[in-house]
Amino acid sequence: MLNPLRSEGEAFRFLLYALAVIVALIVLVLAARAIF
Amino acid sequence: MEAASISHAGAHDHGADHHGPPAANRSSRAEPQLLGMLLFIISEIMVFGAFFTAYFFIRVAQGAPWPAHGTTLPVGVAGFNTAILVSSSFTIHWAEQSIKRGNRFGLKAGMLLTFLLGCSFLFIQINEYANIGFAPQDAAQQTIFYSLTGLHGAHVFIGLLLLLFVTIRSFRGHYSPEEHRGVEVPGIYWHFVDIMWLVVYFTVYIL
Repeated sequence: MLNPLRSEGEAFRFLLYALAVIVALIVLVLAARAIF
Repeated sequence: MEAASISHAGAHDHGADHHGPPAANRSSRAEPQLLGMLLFIISEIMVFGAFFTAYFFIRVAQGAPWPAHGTTLPVGVAGFNTAILVSSSFTIHWAEQSIKRGNRFGLKAGMLLTFLLGCSFLFIQINEYANIGFAPQDAAQQTIFYSLTGLHGAHVFIGLLLLLFVTIRSFRGHYSPEEHRGVEVPGIYWHFVDIMWLVVYFTVYIL
């Protein structure tokens, strides 16, 4: 299981996941604003 | 039961020769440095949580417009700044991976780049404050804007101090493939600061 506090490598991987989620959310919000 | 009794008796005997405070208990499952960082980051999440609560209270409970009427937030500049901070996580990861493989050049270059990228982030944020056109006391929204971004900026400043120490030590020849905890723990903190900024950027500038 991924534990971002176990090592720097795992923290970095967690950052990449967080980045992917935030980018997806930004795309969703901007698309929703463009449509509605 | 017998083993426990023997163990207890042994501890008592040892205690008779011991002076000063008792030795601190150490978990066999987590190293003290990582446990300390774990507890610190949990407390930090709670601090940020308090500020996010105020933000959502203003936007959701009070239904106040965001940003306040007559103001705009520099979404593009902040997005560029986000890219700078994310890049700095890549460079510190490079530094950490380099010292694990015994590559001292990678460690030094990675740490120096991370420090410079962090300084650039802070400089752009201060420049943003100087040109944004509103002050913290103007409205509740402005207070929360400065509080959230300022709280994060303070964490970047602390992180930069840690990075400065690590960079100086790496140029002095410290750290090795066997002993690089001094790079790893600030690295975890720096990634935490970066992840927190992603959340702040999304909620404050995009949402």
